[in-house]
Amino acid sequence: MLRVIKPKTARSKRALDAREPKEVEDPRTVIFVKGTHTGEVVNGVFKDLMALKRPHAVAFNKKNVIHPFDSATNSSTTSSSAAGSSTSIASLEFWAAKNDASMFVVGQTTKKRPNGMTFVRMFDGRVLDMIEVGVENYKAMADFKTPKSTPGNKPLLHFASELFDTHPRFIHLKSMLIDFFNGEEVDSISLIGLEHVISISLGPTPSTLNDATSMSLLPSTYSADSVHANPLAAVASASFIANSLPPTAATSLAMASASLPKVHIRAYTTKLLSSGVRVPRVELVPMGPALDLVLRRAQAPDSDMLKLAMKRPKLKKTDVEKGLGKKRKNVEVDEMGDLRGRVHVGLQDLSKLKGRRMKGLQEERPGKKQRIEEDDGDDDMDDE
Amino acid sequence: MDVTSILDAQKAKQQNVTVEKETPLEIDAGHLMVSDLNPIDEESYNENLEDHLRALARDGTQALLAALFSLPTQKSADGPLAQLPARTYQLPRQKQLPKPKPPTKWERFAAAKGISHVKRDKKEWDEERQEWVNRWGKDGKNRRVEEQWLTEVKRNADTDHNPQLAARHERKERIAKNEKQHLANLARASGSSASGPSSRKAELEKSIATTRASTASMGKFDRKLDGEKKLRGVKRKFDPAERSVVDEQKSALKLIGSMDSDARKMRKAPRENEEGSVNARKAIRFASKGKGAASMAGGETRGKSSFAKGKKGGRR
Repeated sequence: MLRVIKPKTARSKRALDAREPKEVEDPRTVIFVKGTHTGEVVNGVFKDLMALKRPHAVAFNKKNVIHPFDSATNSSTTSSSAAGSSTSIASLEFWAAKNDASMFVVGQTTKKRPNGMTFVRMFDGRVLDMIEVGVENYKAMADFKTPKSTPGNKPLLHFASELFDTHPRFIHLKSMLIDFFNGEEVDSISLIGLEHVISISLGPTPSTLNDATSMSLLPSTYSADSVHANPLAAVASASFIANSLPPTAATSLAMASASLPKVHIRAYTTKLLSSGVRVPRVELVPMGPALDLVLRRAQAPDSDMLKLAMKRPKLKKTDVEKGLGKKRKNVEVDEMGDLRGRVHVGLQDLSKLKGRRMKGLQEERPGKKQRIEEDDGDDDMDDE
Repeated sequence: MDVTSILDAQKAKQQNVTVEKETPLEIDAGHLMVSDLNPIDEESYNENLEDHLRALARDGTQALLAALFSLPTQKSADGPLAQLPARTYQLPRQKQLPKPKPPTKWERFAAAKGISHVKRDKKEWDEERQEWVNRWGKDGKNRRVEEQWLTEVKRNADTDHNPQLAARHERKERIAKNEKQHLANLARASGSSASGPSSRKAELEKSIATTRASTASMGKFDRKLDGEKKLRGVKRKFDPAERSVVDEQKSALKLIGSMDSDARKMRKAPRENEEGSVNARKAIRFASKGKGAASMAGGETRGKSSFAKGKKGGRR
């Protein structure tokens, strides 16, 4: 679709090289796209989210006919996953390639889904996953008459609720929101420069959710560690299970989704007060937009694409020496900084060892001993 | 000395900055993220939503800051920088992992010899002039000989030795050589999908096939060597033995006519060259840049003067 540009100037070549894949990636550039009808609320939310996301954000000025969940509804009825991509998905892919962006927020208001926002994430130029939310209760950043943080600052993130670790839909949402709000990936940070916190919390967990579906949705091999290493794997497999559930269970699932707790997003500026100790006491001042979201539809990532997306670069030797990487039992770094390994050989039976034949080491035969005893005179000359 | 009061005061201050929860908060310092896995308190939630959220966030932030402030720090111009640990929570990538590029010929050599890369600057200190000069670019040192108005030439030099042109030629050669090496590196890096030996083999086979068919009988009656591939039959066309006289007359006249008409259209027999195999006409044209032999005779001293018989004639 997009024609391949061959660089004719050094500057364009540099721009093209900047788009090459890197080991440690830049923050995701987000494109804010408005649908055919948006409304005041969605417009305001877009303005505020873009302010939080600057400079890695692009806003499209015109309205676009875009329905990200178009082909998803078609393919759910057919068994094959290779349904023809809808034009909306094709548009998203084109915009992502043109702007070198890997995340979208699509805003649309309809009678059935008022104040809807769809977060879309891309991998390798294709759609990875999508989450649709509805905005209820929005308070603009301009309505908070308080000082704001510097744009481009890396935010502190706070997630409150145990559902973010247990329920697959909320695991998915957490991953998406971290990707959205994350700034640059840094190795060190100035402690004075921690200016704002973005806090995402849920409403209290309704009791129906606790005992009924959340437990059955998770795969049996689930554990707390695996969630961090590959949180979306649980989501991908859970959605597969959900699709293959018998109709009665599916309807109960649908009912459960209606009663999912609301998501509250708040942003605060931090005020560090000196306490007696090294760690300062923190007080929060509400800053940014206040959003209350309701989860609507979602499209989980395809497991093959997810596997590719979660691939890590191989650890370099320097990192293994530092102690990162899997704990290898027989490998360690000694005091000199060298990598040392132990090789374990099995138990060796030395009696069966066949060495070189040397006369002096041979076992004396019984006949020989008698002969030596007879010649007493020569014994004194021999040393044992 | 009552130390206990001081200790109590210290403890109280410490209490201020610690956060006690049922389940300890999970902190991913690499992402500056804190996760509170305690179930939400319904009463506090229903009573005052904003205050409840703010209190939750404050506790979480406090715990996160405690963790961040306990990290090893490094001094820098902007203040202490905390060294963040590796990230635990993994996010999906945006693009595929970069494919490792094979090292270039120079990189392999440098690695083998242990040569490390030294970054050079655009400006260099010139001892003669006692100033910083560009190595390349505007007023660059690489163009010095070409651009200077006076160049000393050896006494025994050729009359038509132009040091400016010679210097320019050298520079262009260096550029061309670099370009050639760069292309060779790229071809090697792209996995050389043509794969040198096999593409050469295909080339050779093609030329062998053409040579085999380049005989009068299109290679039909030639003996085939062992290992040669069977050629596709090429038929030679012959006109029918009996033709009308009119046709024959026409074709014969046509042939004579084309031989006669334009000297350029038929290849003439090659002239015997007197001195070596040099095409003098072409040589003069190249050396004089199309101006002709006359311009070269004593044309050097005049250079671009109006006396020169340029292609477009002398004075404008």
